[in-house]
Amino acid sequence: MAVVVGLTVIVFLLPNFLGPALIAVVLLGVAAVAGFLDRVAKLAAVVTVPFLIAVVIVQGLFYAGNETPLIAIGPVTFWEEGLSYGLLVFFRVLVVVCAVLLMVYSTHPKKMMVAFIDKGLSPKLAYVFMASLQFVPEMQRRAQAIIEAQQARGLDLKANLWRRFQALLAMMIPLLTGALISAETRSLALEARGFSRVGVRSHLIEVPDGAADRVIRWSMAAIVILVAIWRIVL
Amino acid sequence: MSLIEIEDLTFSYASQPDEPALRNLSCGIEQGSFVGITGLAEAGKSSFCRLVAGYIPHFFDGKFSGRVSVAGTDTSETTIGELAEKVGFVFENPFDQLTGASLTVLEEVAFALENMGLPREEIRRRAEESLAQVGMEDLADWHPQQLSGGQSQRLALASVLAAQPEVFVLDEPTSQLDPLGVEEVFDVVSNMHRGGYTVIVVSQDLDHLAVHANRLIVIHEGEIKWDGEPRQVLLKAAEARHPILIPDVLEISRSLRAAGRIPSSSPAPLTVEQAATELSNVEKQSSASEAIVMGKGSRRLPDSTPESSMEILFEDVHYDYPTGVSAIRGVSLSLSGGCVCIVGQNGAGKTTFARHLNGLLRPTRGRVLVRGKDTREHRVAELAREAGLAFQNPDDQLFRSTVEDEVRFGPDNLGMSPDEAKRLVASALDLMGLQAVREKKPYDLGLPERKRVATASVIAMDTPVVVLDEPTGGQDAEGIGLLGNLVGHLARQGKLVVVVTHDVKFASQHADRIIALYQGRVLLDDGPRTVFGQEEILARTHVEPPAVTRLGKLLGLDETMLSPEELLDIFAPG
Repeated sequence: MAVVVGLTVIVFLLPNFLGPALIAVVLLGVAAVAGFLDRVAKLAAVVTVPFLIAVVIVQGLFYAGNETPLIAIGPVTFWEEGLSYGLLVFFRVLVVVCAVLLMVYSTHPKKMMVAFIDKGLSPKLAYVFMASLQFVPEMQRRAQAIIEAQQARGLDLKANLWRRFQALLAMMIPLLTGALISAETRSLALEARGFSRVGVRSHLIEVPDGAADRVIRWSMAAIVILVAIWRIVL
Repeated sequence: MSLIEIEDLTFSYASQPDEPALRNLSCGIEQGSFVGITGLAEAGKSSFCRLVAGYIPHFFDGKFSGRVSVAGTDTSETTIGELAEKVGFVFENPFDQLTGASLTVLEEVAFALENMGLPREEIRRRAEESLAQVGMEDLADWHPQQLSGGQSQRLALASVLAAQPEVFVLDEPTSQLDPLGVEEVFDVVSNMHRGGYTVIVVSQDLDHLAVHANRLIVIHEGEIKWDGEPRQVLLKAAEARHPILIPDVLEISRSLRAAGRIPSSSPAPLTVEQAATELSNVEKQSSASEAIVMGKGSRRLPDSTPESSMEILFEDVHYDYPTGVSAIRGVSLSLSGGCVCIVGQNGAGKTTFARHLNGLLRPTRGRVLVRGKDTREHRVAELAREAGLAFQNPDDQLFRSTVEDEVRFGPDNLGMSPDEAKRLVASALDLMGLQAVREKKPYDLGLPERKRVATASVIAMDTPVVVLDEPTGGQDAEGIGLLGNLVGHLARQGKLVVVVTHDVKFASQHADRIIALYQGRVLLDDGPRTVFGQEEILARTHVEPPAVTRLGKLLGLDETMLSPEELLDIFAPG
């Protein structure tokens, strides 16, 4: 976690795109060693590639400091400064995305939450995080069930626009109402299991916070400060 | 003083201030008792449970008068969290009551203990102990979403058990489970009772509840109608023709007492074995085959209609889910008119089979013809004109602002004329007993009524084929009666009614033909008398014949019994 925050700060401090690009490569290397390169790379690509195209085009065309023309096609000129700034923004985002994905994939979510709670995060917030992990597949399953039930009642998903609008209602209302009905049961069940109880909590899972963890945290902080000083002084 | 004391309690929900859910109710529950509660839907059973756990008045707003105390604490002067240390609660829906934030079964059980701040070792010990008590110690590392309904419900029990409350309240814990799940849950609950816990269980399933409980309460319109030893209560309720699901064995015994064939002093039977012992001393007046011929035994035989009117044809149908699971493995059959019930254990392929009847699923091999249309070549919306399918969970479809509008949704989709739609909607509402609530919002109704709304909305489409998936689940005596009439009505109109069900009593009363599925194949396919007569084969797919059939078998009768009336004709004709 400390590493993620640290890297985020660093990439925003670095002046050109070469630094963040290097860090991104290192992160993907770490992912490869840990054995989830394909998952991290796939998701990172889905999130950042459309962003790359958009940011490079927009900055390439309209960046405020544009001076050196790179290519000119008719009335449209593509500028060098804009391109490099666009790449800088892209690689910054890529580093953040890769770092977060790496953390999510390498850490057992429950352990991560326990660690956060130990560091003072509200247990309720931690619950929301954990519950949302299961909420999405659950909602997908229900949405599928609703589509089937409505089709069985003759709802045509491929009809005219008005019908399709109706179809959307026929989908969304049961989905939301159903979620509210289960939320009522769930909130009572949580209440009954002492969820809103004040006082010390304990955890079934132990998350050791050893010397190595502390060294990494502090050295990350030190690196961030060094980079900051370098940027200010130079 | 009793462990739980309710004094002169009246409560109305804020949404219905003029219709009290509970009226002047007084009741005491002793430590260590097993109290069963039954009654019609909306009678006040759930409100009773919520009262004991303090959800009323702390979670549900409304007008509250009277007093409730649990182990000496006035519930209105404490919080739900504090009361939870004394009262554990298990809800109807097996999945909604899990935290949804645990990655393993063990973590789920540990949740309450973590909130209590117990030491790690203590948490682990108590969580493992609770799992062992519900027989799930081997599943500790499973993800909660992998569990079946019955397992999920037992996990909920274990989670409550871990916090060691004194009282367990279970509100319809088995209404959404298959027969195996029902057995599992009742076994665990009665073990807990033997272990000294006080248990309160709300259920429509009196065949199970009456056997385990040592006290039965019938609630009617917010008041206690009968309260006492289960046998006595059931006899009184049966005498008064009160609409609850009186076990067949008790009903038979009661009729024979009334006819003077059994001395009224002997205790009434609650199980098939007890009934068999009682009846073995009663002299038979006629043989079973005579009784069937005499009575209403002339049931329709399996269809022998000519091929031209064939409604549905399965030709060597196979279905594999994208996950690779084979759910249907070579089914060939034809269905024409009448009521066909599909039975079999969970995972036997019943629901997958039903989804082939209107093209929601298409065979991965072989083909399905619905009234001549190959399901692979037609859209579901088109096939919906031929076959209407009502799903188990009404909350996956209800979305309009009144019951009447909701029921109109199907006819409107099919493009019927307003007059036609109006007529069909009125008839569907009548059949499902919903005329009185037609102006209400569907979600203001209880789950059993919502389910009938969903069924009515499919009936109103007036399709030649009607498929009902577990229509009787969670229904009270009135609801099951309405469904029985519905099935008969549709079959008389010449429609094909396919009912997927665990309810063997319903199947024995209404089916013209029963298809038992086992591992994606047809295990048995014949009239109900023939199918239920093959107890050993049915056992392979965990289907138990109805109580009266098993009773007939224990008595060594020469024919398979399908109804209490047939059995009574043997012992007390006329």
